Amino acid sequence: MADALIEARDVGRTYLQGGSPVAAVRSATFRLQEGDRVALIGRSGSGKTTLLHLMAGLDRPSSGAIRWPALGGADTLLPAKIALVFQVPSLLDPLTVAENVALPLILSGAGGDVRQAVLHALATFALEELADKLPEELSGGQVQRVAMARAIVGRPSLILADEPTGQLDRATGRALLDALLGHLAGSATALVLATHDPAVAERMAATWQLRDGVLATGSPP
Amino acid sequence: MIGLWLAGQVRWHKGRLAGTVAGIALTVAMLAVLGVFLDQSTMTMTRRAIAGVPVDWQFQLAPGSSTPALAAAIGKAAKVAVLHIAGYADVDGLEAHSGGTVQTTGAGKVLGLDAGYARDFPGQFRLLLGSLDGALIAQQTAANLHVGVGDIVTIHRPGLASALVRIDGVVDLPNADSLFQAVGVPPGAAPQAPPDNVILLPLASWHRLFDPQAAVHPDSVRTQLHVGLVHAGLPSDPSVALMTVQGAARNLAARSAGSGVLADNLAARLDAVRSDALYAKVLFLFLGAPGVLMAALLTLAVAAAGGSHRRRDQALLRVRGASRKQIMTLAAAEAGCVGIVGGMLGLALAVLAVRALFGLASSVITPAGAAALLAGLLLAQVALLLPAWRDARDRTVVAARLAIGPERPVLWQRIGLDGMLLMLSAVVFWQSWSSGYQVVLAPEGTPATSVEYQAFLAPVLLWLGAGLLTIRLCRFGLVRGRAYLARCLRPIAGALAGVVAASIGRQHRRLTQGVALIALAFAFATSTAVFNTTYHAQARVDAALTNGADVTVTGTLRAPASARLAALAAMPGVNAAQAMQHRLAYVGNDLQDLYGIDAGRIGEATLTSNAYFQGGDASATLARLAQTPDGILVSEETVADFQLQPGDRLTLRLQRAGDGQYHPVSFRFIGVVREFPTAPHDSFLVANAAYVARQTGAGGAEIVLLRTGSAPAQVAEQARKVVQDMPGVKVSDIGQVQQLIGSSLVAVDLGGLTRLQLVFAVLLVAGATGLILALGLADRRRAFAVLTALGAKPRQLAAFLWSEALLLFAVGTSVGIAAGFGLAWMLVKLLTGVFDPPPEVLDVPWAYLVLLIGVALVSVALAVLTALRETDVPAVQRMREL
Ligand SMILES: Nc1ncnc2c1ncn2[C@@H]1O[C@H](COP(=O)(O)OP(=O)(O)OP(=O)(O)O)[C@@H](O)[C@H]1O
Ligand SMILES: [Mg+2]
Repeated sequence: MADALIEARDVGRTYLQGGSPVAAVRSATFRLQEGDRVALIGRSGSGKTTLLHLMAGLDRPSSGAIRWPALGGADTLLPAKIALVFQVPSLLDPLTVAENVALPLILSGAGGDVRQAVLHALATFALEELADKLPEELSGGQVQRVAMARAIVGRPSLILADEPTGQLDRATGRALLDALLGHLAGSATALVLATHDPAVAERMAATWQLRDGVLATGSPP
Repeated sequence: MIGLWLAGQVRWHKGRLAGTVAGIALTVAMLAVLGVFLDQSTMTMTRRAIAGVPVDWQFQLAPGSSTPALAAAIGKAAKVAVLHIAGYADVDGLEAHSGGTVQTTGAGKVLGLDAGYARDFPGQFRLLLGSLDGALIAQQTAANLHVGVGDIVTIHRPGLASALVRIDGVVDLPNADSLFQAVGVPPGAAPQAPPDNVILLPLASWHRLFDPQAAVHPDSVRTQLHVGLVHAGLPSDPSVALMTVQGAARNLAARSAGSGVLADNLAARLDAVRSDALYAKVLFLFLGAPGVLMAALLTLAVAAAGGSHRRRDQALLRVRGASRKQIMTLAAAEAGCVGIVGGMLGLALAVLAVRALFGLASSVITPAGAAALLAGLLLAQVALLLPAWRDARDRTVVAARLAIGPERPVLWQRIGLDGMLLMLSAVVFWQSWSSGYQVVLAPEGTPATSVEYQAFLAPVLLWLGAGLLTIRLCRFGLVRGRAYLARCLRPIAGALAGVVAASIGRQHRRLTQGVALIALAFAFATSTAVFNTTYHAQARVDAALTNGADVTVTGTLRAPASARLAALAAMPGVNAAQAMQHRLAYVGNDLQDLYGIDAGRIGEATLTSNAYFQGGDASATLARLAQTPDGILVSEETVADFQLQPGDRLTLRLQRAGDGQYHPVSFRFIGVVREFPTAPHDSFLVANAAYVARQTGAGGAEIVLLRTGSAPAQVAEQARKVVQDMPGVKVSDIGQVQQLIGSSLVAVDLGGLTRLQLVFAVLLVAGATGLILALGLADRRRAFAVLTALGAKPRQLAAFLWSEALLLFAVGTSVGIAAGFGLAWMLVKLLTGVFDPPPEVLDVPWAYLVLLIGVALVSVALAVLTALRETDVPAVQRMREL
């Protein structure tokens, strides 16, 4: 069996809120493999975003240990090996859609044909027409699609998407998910997708649930 | 509600509020200090000018008038400090016997002065030999008659027997022009040359000799009352002081009702100083105004920077039902508080600055101070209210999204305002150029002065036009030149260069404003500094021209300073010493000063500026003189009077040492001299000392010029010891002279103002660069959060920051310095009338410029490093703040 993408043991993340500690994630233990499709569900404030950030190495656990056996150290994950799609709009305003999508490639210093890769990613989400537009000229749904395109452009081993369809109407959300899953079909890239929407969760192979920071993976580690 | 709002503003917008307050404080301080300085400098100018008047009023009595009655009338018309009687008698000639020969002169004057005259009017004579008690003879008369202390002079009185007097002292009459002026002659009439032959007697002796003459020839004897007025209460503005003095004079005219005429020397001097005072005012305003403007612009920039926050606050207020009027009231209240705090702070700063720079405990509670405060309040309203009003008017929360990307060129760009301003500047400048830079006009005899203020429009327009042009070019460069920009940024930004260039290009508005502000600050600093150094160098040239050199030792024909040349040259601190003859020579009937020099070496000890000579080439002219043993340089008037062509022979009469008589000596005219160290402003001659010595048999040189390496005053002190046993030999240093040149504007000490300006300019440059970057970078927090979350390394974030910062710095600095030089050049040209001779080149304050660039670099670095420290906050945290 190949190395796991992520191995987490008793991972906890506690924030200080006005002096008193708040545990956003408590003692989470899980393992993520190549090609996994996981829906992360839970109510608002249950710790989904926190957990995704821990998975991306963007945040450090307050307790427990998290490792990326197949990927490397926490500092080397972004943007080449893991891609994040944020819950909030996260495009750079002064850059065009194409430039925004190219950013992970430029930041990771990846060789190869950047233009070709960007065009391909844009095409995946039917964004070719918008390549030269600025973010302020886009609708909310278009912004989310660009963020998706930016996530897949570097062919990462793991994509972490934080409520990518949260702000979209159902049909649009479904279309976006179709495009993403279609793109990933048959590839080794793993996907973890946080959502409130059971309909979205249904389309994933596994569902992990967060309740007040407690993670239930549905399968024993 | 207002209180709550203000508390909220203070809590959430500390930085912006503090910045706005600081900007307003700086603006107010600058204005107030400028006001104090203007008042102070006009006051100093007026005081100095007045102090330079030896006798304020000369009242000439009509024959038969009562002296005590008129003295009383003068006392009633004005506040009199001292009053003395002076008798004037015309005589047919003077005669003296010496060494078996008889010397006679033409017509002359004998003055009778009462006791205490010399004490109360010390400016009237300078004792050269003997004592001031008894009969005195003017230096030139003594030379003409070959007499000294103890000799007898015969006075030929018209219609009476000759009288004899024994000479007790020889004096120089530095103020002869006004002492012997024709009282009652309308101004503008041909001025009378002062008499060559003058004897001064105690009043009692004078009455004994000339009361009989008055009986025979009443019109050959006159009595004047010489008055020194109390100066303490005179207004500090020369124009106002002039009116006060003229009022007193009119009062006297009414009281004396035809029993005499007044020569108002004080009024004449005040009249003359008015134009200088106005020049000074214009100049100070001109030097100060851009600084004030810069401070105001910076304030506006800081205030506007909080835009997005403010819009959000406003949107929230509106959501909660606040009307636009209420929102504006809140903004106005905020602006009022900021204005008052900033204004008070500014005034306090001004008090400190005034104390530190001028050593004055001067109050800033003057009309100027009040105006400054008012300006501060106004600035606060404009800075805070205007953007709030604009937001309230046309921005919805949605439209408040970032204003970037392609926009239509603004109105001024479409109509080409920058080009128009620059053209206008050139036209105005050309106009004042063609009128010979006569910026200040003060027609003599009228109380009205006029300043061609529009001449100063040229640099103002240049400043504005250059600013706008910078904005246009930047915009163009950033938008169109993105590929080139990316190439330029590659060394700093590496692979990110393209992205950085794109980002910079799309935010060209913010960047361009930054560049323009930095450039303007640099232009202000550079022009002030360049102008200042040039001005100081010129003040030095002026003083050197008057004094002759750093230290000048002046002797007489009989006691030539050159006798001690070796000892003087050997003193510590002396870098070079040169002897220079100072003789008198008749050019036709005109007696002129003749300077005999070693043309090849005179430049070692004193400054020989190109402006001194026609043709503008000092070294060529002096070389020509050195090659022509009998060559002579003469003034333009002499060339015109004698229709001289280069190479023509010119015969002068020089005094020979053997017989003391004037004998013809032939010279060859080789050039025109306009100014020369120690020479008077009117006609004079310059020739080779060796030739003059050979022709006159007198090899000594009256003057020794010293160039010093250490403080001139100290060297002068030593020199006095070297020559202390030589009668009549005087030592002066350049510092003394600088204080003495009274009415010349160059003598006005710009020191205080320029020190303030230079400090202020450094602050502005630091503020502008640091602030623009800090504000810009603060706006970029979100971008950095996104970049970090995407996995950008600190190195990559730094590249982003440094690229932007260095671009701003490089463009702003270079444009600013270039514009600063242009401005300084224009200013110096416009003020040509102030400089005599005008400067040949701009003096560049390299050290200051280096300091300025250094300060700007440090503040760039500080801004970037501060912004980089911000990026240490974990990206997750940042993302949540979005
Ligand atoms: N930086 C922080 N400081 C303090 N508390 C935090 C911080 N980040 C998250 N929390 C707290 O941790 C808990 C989990 O937050 P998290 O954002 O992970 O929830 P979530 O499941 O993503 O919610 P939502 O569905 O609304 O996005 C919340 O109670 C939140 O208040
Ligand atoms: Mg969340």
